[in-house]
Amino acid sequence: MATTDAAAGKRRPRPLSPHLGIYKLTMTMAMSIAHRISGCALYIGVLLLAWFLISASTDAATFGVFSAFIESIIGRLVLFGFTWALFHHLVGGIRHFVWDAGYGMDPPMRDQLGWATLIGGLALTLIAWSIGYAVR
Amino acid sequence: MVDHPASLRTPLARVRFLGSARSGTREARLIHLTSLALIPLTLGFVWLVLDLLHMDYNGVRETLERPLPAIVLLAFILAGILHMEIGMRSIVVDYIHGPARAWALLANTCFSALLGLACVYATLRIAFT
Repeated sequence: MATTDAAAGKRRPRPLSPHLGIYKLTMTMAMSIAHRISGCALYIGVLLLAWFLISASTDAATFGVFSAFIESIIGRLVLFGFTWALFHHLVGGIRHFVWDAGYGMDPPMRDQLGWATLIGGLALTLIAWSIGYAVR
Repeated sequence: MVDHPASLRTPLARVRFLGSARSGTREARLIHLTSLALIPLTLGFVWLVLDLLHMDYNGVRETLERPLPAIVLLAFILAGILHMEIGMRSIVVDYIHGPARAWALLANTCFSALLGLACVYATLRIAFT
């Protein structure tokens, strides 16, 4: 029967495994999603780095446009989001190295690593911003 | 290729000529290598940005003309672009099906390559002009 369907060119869509919607949200799952979201945010965020570098390589007036944006409230929020995504993804990546080495996969430890990722990412973000404002 | 459930073909015969398995781990190894490199490079990058944040145009130029900041920045860009290209590829492969997938993969590679080149070009231009 399957071959007749295929021969007729009417292939039924392949079954997909159950996805996000039917599972209870767990810490490991939330951090897995957060790792992807922060990765995507950084993917877009590199545009900000490119803008910074291209404007700095052009002239003072072009750099001034970038500078004005980053000094604005929206610019500060974007930069804060970028910093958080960067540190969250960094700590999440270290967590993946811990797992790759074979540690921390038992139930209490994997949840604790999830919390450590969330809190560590936020803490590093706040430390970096404190230094940024303190050194001014 | 039609997978008939009652086929007498062996599993080996079915996977033959579909490509070598030798380079199959290339992507996994590269994302591990780049993520390992990005741990110190990200800290270096943040350190550099904290330094650059309060500078005007001339200060930024003078800083990026020095070898150490420029090399840290270039290494961060290189590892970061490779890392994000592979990362986005795995997201595309997970969520985009059918003919759109090939276009999404192509767009990902082009976007990453152009963005990486733009960043490297600008950094070198600051350093050498």
